[in-house]
Amino acid sequence: MPDIQVIMTELGWPLAIALAWLSGELMHRWTRLPRISVYGLVGFLMAQALPAALSSGASSNVTMLANLAFGLILFEFGYRINLNWLRINPWIAVSGLAESAATFGVVYLISHLTGMPSLTSLLLASLAMSTSPAGVLRVINEEDSAGQVTERVLHLVAINCVLAVFVFKVVVGFWVFQTSGSLTQAVSHSLIELLVSAAMGAVLGFIVPAVLRRLGAIAQDGTIAFALGVILLVAMARAFDVSPVLATLTFGLAARHSRVAFSRTERNFGGIGELLTVLLFVFAVSTLEWERVVAGLGLGVVLLLARFVVKAAAVAAFSHAGGISWRKGLLTGIALSPMSVFVTLLLEQTKYMGIVLVDELAALAAMTLLLEVVGPIVTQRALIWANETPAKEEH
Amino acid sequence: MPLEPFKSSQPLTMGVELELQLVSLSDFDLTASSPDLLHLLSRKPFPGNVTPEITESMIEINSDVHTNHSELVSQLQLIRDTLVQAGEQLNIGICGGGTHPFQKWSDRRIFAKPRFKEVSELYGYLAKQFTIFGQHVHIGCASGDDALFLLHSLSRYVPHFIALSSSSPYVQGNDTLFNSARLNSVFAFPMSGRAPFMQRWSTFEHEYFSKMEHTGVIKSMKDFYWDIRPKPEFGTIELRVCDTPLTVERAAALAVYLQALCRYLLERREEAPAEDDYLVYNYNRFQACRFGLDGTLVHPKTYESLSLREDILTTLRKMEPHGAALGGTAGLQHLMQVTHEGSDAHYLRQQFDRSGSAEGMVDAAIQRFRGG
Repeated sequence: MPDIQVIMTELGWPLAIALAWLSGELMHRWTRLPRISVYGLVGFLMAQALPAALSSGASSNVTMLANLAFGLILFEFGYRINLNWLRINPWIAVSGLAESAATFGVVYLISHLTGMPSLTSLLLASLAMSTSPAGVLRVINEEDSAGQVTERVLHLVAINCVLAVFVFKVVVGFWVFQTSGSLTQAVSHSLIELLVSAAMGAVLGFIVPAVLRRLGAIAQDGTIAFALGVILLVAMARAFDVSPVLATLTFGLAARHSRVAFSRTERNFGGIGELLTVLLFVFAVSTLEWERVVAGLGLGVVLLLARFVVKAAAVAAFSHAGGISWRKGLLTGIALSPMSVFVTLLLEQTKYMGIVLVDELAALAAMTLLLEVVGPIVTQRALIWANETPAKEEH
Repeated sequence: MPLEPFKSSQPLTMGVELELQLVSLSDFDLTASSPDLLHLLSRKPFPGNVTPEITESMIEINSDVHTNHSELVSQLQLIRDTLVQAGEQLNIGICGGGTHPFQKWSDRRIFAKPRFKEVSELYGYLAKQFTIFGQHVHIGCASGDDALFLLHSLSRYVPHFIALSSSSPYVQGNDTLFNSARLNSVFAFPMSGRAPFMQRWSTFEHEYFSKMEHTGVIKSMKDFYWDIRPKPEFGTIELRVCDTPLTVERAAALAVYLQALCRYLLERREEAPAEDDYLVYNYNRFQACRFGLDGTLVHPKTYESLSLREDILTTLRKMEPHGAALGGTAGLQHLMQVTHEGSDAHYLRQQFDRSGSAEGMVDAAIQRFRGG
């Protein structure tokens, strides 16, 4: 008879995913809460109950699968971004920049005032700028929403994620280069890394549709070809040590804008995509520990509230100029709440560089957990209040 | 509600209504964004009129009342430019076309307005399948009697308008082989088809409308979905068979053709309309929907077989003096061009072949609507 501990380690992940999925379905049916919130909650509880069973290292299969799941979502996300719109209606980009910059400033200020070292405060502030593309896109697809809040949230998330990755890399670079103390070196290093990631995604974004067109499979489904593209890209980003986030996002963007062909993919990459999403959202909180969450709860909540208010206000401020009502502008800002998955994966990537921020920073653990569970609910409410979701009784 | 009296209006004035598609620029499917678009448009004076339609992925625009082609076409162009600009600001594609080629009717959302909700409840899936886009043309009439005379005299020309405007070859992702598949959705409604053969307004009012109202089947003229129906409160007849063309220029040309035809018919040189004209009506209409300009008509008086394209060309030539008198020559010439180059349905099929996808077809329709 094998040791119970060994069995649990073997079964940990499959069980956690199955349980998370089942709870997600049931809770969604009963309460209409977003499924991903439930995945996060179940994942966190399981990780507390069976810490050994849900362990994952930077190079574990689970981490790789989570990165892949995130890559698929980012591709789909990038495909929905219309760069031309940002050019025609500059207020979208302006509100994105303002909202990100204000969040960075306010979060840095608060954490600095609580006596945190400046570098830690900077990292925290750069992470707080971001919004989780995974959380937002999953809620939008789940609710089948359409309208200005939906469109604008997607574009703002893209903007603040690119900014967050960039600033985060600059700060990390600064940290790494601290001995030589060269900020220019840190900036250029980060820039090169971002450019290489973007270039990789862009190249693939031209090649895959071209191949599909050649195969004459355009009228059919591009799901498998694009999924394979994402798998390749995530592996390459790992191999070359560049940002998989930016690479897959650019892949989607390029596939859309190259217009070699109009291709269709299944929403969420079909059933397999859904499965990977469950894993992703369980994974995102599995690294958090209860003690840290409790310890960082106070500061975490303060920072979250500040981030929430700043984002909502900054986006709302430009809403009228951007062509929508103040109300919809405010709801757009409110819908920018989720951030966990993005943060967890970004940190995971940085862990092996010797920066273990989650472990040091209890506030971040609390923020991640809260936003993983609460963030999608807030986004969902914002979409419903904006009347951008179909009324259920009509189905 | 009893039938309101027919309000006399200046004969041969015209007005155009167009139902337009709102399309997502990400996946080219219809998108429920009319509330956002209407909000933005309400901030500035609109050159004409814009209103919500039954599903949120559709809006309707209409022109003012015009007497000639150049005024009408320039107002429609101004409306189009305003719409395109607002659409760009909100990342919404706007286009013509009688159907959206691959939308699923079950995905449509009904605009929150009591009448639309009622219609939706009464007709069930028909209401959502009714996500189709048509052009309506109004022509002013001096009296109700004139209106009914024109209505029945025009029945012979209804296939012309179907073929010339046809722009709905695809439905739910498949080529229907029809040029105007849109009208098949209209025929599903119980009150669709032709108006009853009555030539006096008083007869229509007392021997048809009030009886129908008494049965409880209808409440007002709005409940009739006829191909041509009188609109007493405007003092017009309304031609409703046209698909929304891909360009506003074609919409204006169709209106001018109808205007010229009415001028010609009011001279009363043609044999008077008769109930028996309708013997071939449904067959001719089917020919126009299915084969477009390549269809074959049966003449309602002589029963001879005619090529629809030839019949249109002959009629257009006959209309030249009337077009010239009304200032509509350019519009008639535009339609002459259509008989040579093919309809919008033909253009859309070409775009499908070129791009290999229904999405490519919608993208081309958006570009064409912009005038590019």
